Amino acid sequence: MHLEIQNVSKKYSKDKYGLKNFSIHIEKGILGLLGANGAGKSTLLKMIATVSKPSLGNITLNKNNIVKDANYMRQQLGFLPQDFGVYPNLNAYEFLEYMAAMKGIGGKNLRAKIQQLLEGLNLIENAKKPIGTYSGGMKQRVGIAQTLLNNPKIVLFDEPTVGLDPEERVRFRNLISDLANDCIVILSSHIVSDIDTIADKVAIMKSGKLIEYGNQNHIINQVADTVFETIIDSNQISNFKEKHLVVSTSRINGKLKIRYVSQNPVQNSITQKATLEDAYLYLNSII
Amino acid sequence: MKSFLTIIKLDYLQRTRNYNFLITLCASLAIAYTFVPEPNANYSTIRISDYIGFYNSAWFGYVTAIMSSIFLSLIGFYLVNSGVKNDIETKVGQMIASTQTTNFAYLISKTIGNFLLLLTIVCIIFIMSIVLFFLYNDGYPFQIVDFIKPYLIITVPAMFFVASLAVFFEVILAKYQVLQNVVFFFLFCALIAFTPKNKDEFAFDAFGSKIVMYQLEDTVRTLTNTDKTTSMSIGYVLGNTKKANKFEFNGVQFSSLFLISRFFWILISFGLVFLSSKVFHRFSINKKVKSIKKLKIIDSKIGFKEINLSTLIEAKTNYSIFSLIKTEFLLLVRKGKKWLWFVNISGMILLGFLSLEMAHKIVLPILWFLQVHRISDIATKEKSYNMHLFASSSYKPIQRIFASKIIASLLLMFIISLPLILKYSINFEILNAGFIVLGFVFLTFSSILLGQITKGKKLFEVTFFLVTYANINEIPFFDYFGAIKNDLGNIYTILIIILLLLGTTIFLKRKSVQK
Repeated sequence: MHLEIQNVSKKYSKDKYGLKNFSIHIEKGILGLLGANGAGKSTLLKMIATVSKPSLGNITLNKNNIVKDANYMRQQLGFLPQDFGVYPNLNAYEFLEYMAAMKGIGGKNLRAKIQQLLEGLNLIENAKKPIGTYSGGMKQRVGIAQTLLNNPKIVLFDEPTVGLDPEERVRFRNLISDLANDCIVILSSHIVSDIDTIADKVAIMKSGKLIEYGNQNHIINQVADTVFETIIDSNQISNFKEKHLVVSTSRINGKLKIRYVSQNPVQNSITQKATLEDAYLYLNSII
Repeated sequence: MKSFLTIIKLDYLQRTRNYNFLITLCASLAIAYTFVPEPNANYSTIRISDYIGFYNSAWFGYVTAIMSSIFLSLIGFYLVNSGVKNDIETKVGQMIASTQTTNFAYLISKTIGNFLLLLTIVCIIFIMSIVLFFLYNDGYPFQIVDFIKPYLIITVPAMFFVASLAVFFEVILAKYQVLQNVVFFFLFCALIAFTPKNKDEFAFDAFGSKIVMYQLEDTVRTLTNTDKTTSMSIGYVLGNTKKANKFEFNGVQFSSLFLISRFFWILISFGLVFLSSKVFHRFSINKKVKSIKKLKIIDSKIGFKEINLSTLIEAKTNYSIFSLIKTEFLLLVRKGKKWLWFVNISGMILLGFLSLEMAHKIVLPILWFLQVHRISDIATKEKSYNMHLFASSSYKPIQRIFASKIIASLLLMFIISLPLILKYSINFEILNAGFIVLGFVFLTFSSILLGQITKGKKLFEVTFFLVTYANINEIPFFDYFGAIKNDLGNIYTILIIILLLLGTTIFLKRKSVQK
């Protein structure tokens, strides 16, 4: 599986771009898309999912241009959008049957597969109740189930962990890891911890542009030996923030413990092992 | 007081700053243009027996004022009756509920918001009436008072009454949108059917148009020296203008009682809002509470287990749209309250047992109108339920998903109309049966096209309502299902319109998918 995004731009108005000259080559495995809200992650995913078309550039899957032949992508796509809805009058069974029909999936085994998915996602007991009565987390699980209906070869998850509890997040990560054995998984999030444990490669986006792409070590190396921890008085924080990039703060005995990225650390700072979050915040701040 | 005015101002701005309102204004402008026909036009709007008025200021002012009072009261209700609902849907209501704003203050601000919205449309019609005067007048001088007076005394109080009724129904029948529409429809028919027996009873006319109609008829009676009741027609009547005689109409001298009665109707409007405020749910709707209780039970279960992908059953490819049609049909059937199906089935039984004429002219259009909430969002359903991303990324969305929505809707309308179609078929009246089929096909495609253009369902709902009302009143121009004109010529006209609708619909859908 090869997904090639070549010089893709999405122009909304004269000077407003959702995505600008974006290029990336993706192969089997998990790609984590990191970026703040409005960075262009969802725009990119919608174009890969053939929901919207690029203003410029091409997207090819296994050398098939999906901008021209969207159905090639749609036949092998599993897509979980960020803010998806459901028809509240349908129950989970009916909804998944409907989604299967949308994807062009049917046959004798369909009901058994839906049963399997509902069991796996622990929705079976409530499968006959209207989805309108489900909690946010349960709806999210129904959304996850529909991505797996057609044995997808390319799976797009846009902020998928919203509404899932910590335990479910862990199971969801395991599921994604399993999926990645056989297909391309693109996972978009602005929460670094959703991505750092599972992504083979990470792409960091800002203002519609790709600012860094590579495996996690490559990205983390950008801030190697520049991450420190120190303790300061709480009244010094504003001044400190002006000089250094503060990654996190915590309160200890009325003082502040600061984790920060800097080329010129303050006295008494202790060097820390850099993480993806440090690198992400650093790259976002300098570009 | 300042914050109250700010709420009204912002409410008005948020409701007018959308594409739908712009379309409504354009449509109002176009409709207002037809209120007083061009001198050689082939239709009339107000005609008393064989008479129409000379085109002077009073004729333009009064005719457009009563036409807007009647028609805007009817469609205006449907244009504005979602102010509270919008606050529920956008969750702004919950924020309002947590503020110090009283129920009465909130509801009166909604009423004034509705009123200002309607008043904007009235202003457009008013301006158009002046423009029409300068285009068509019969050499009479321009007298601004003849324009302002009828609008101020007739139209403005009527609009305020409708604005308050919209709020009243939204509160009293909060969970029953369809019932709001139906109850208002019958209330409107009852109010419009009210015939004052003497001059004092004009005070009871909510829309204030009867006094003008009486004056028009009285002028013609005096002119023709007859005591007989003259036949007056209001609405769009085709092909009856050629023989019209003209008379001079100089407006109406409103009695003090009538003027006081307009204030009385405004007071009644405030009374309705006050009553509503006493039972206002303040955005704590029972249905929501119930579902939260259910969710708590469901949420107590543990989250999802591990899914072993290697053991997942492989499902086969199947591009048939039968499954999609089945679900779309199910969605249509389940929409709205269950008891509405009792009304639908009763209507279908009536179609089978009443005389063909009665069933075709009265029961069928009402029965179809009762499906308005089911068919009005065919084009916008995916977006309003946030399902559009799934649909757009699915296999062949136009040929399969869009088509299945259309087929399901046609199927529903066919089943609803089946008793009458069968009756006509048994009587070998195939043309009439065909007309009914074309009628619901026309409705379905109109809904889709208007939904595509406006990105909402409101315009179709309002238009459908107006057309239904016109059909029940046997206005031939609006006959799209052969209840009045069941000749081959009409069938070809409807067929051509349907083909145009279909073509435009597919063109727009393709364009939106390509985007």
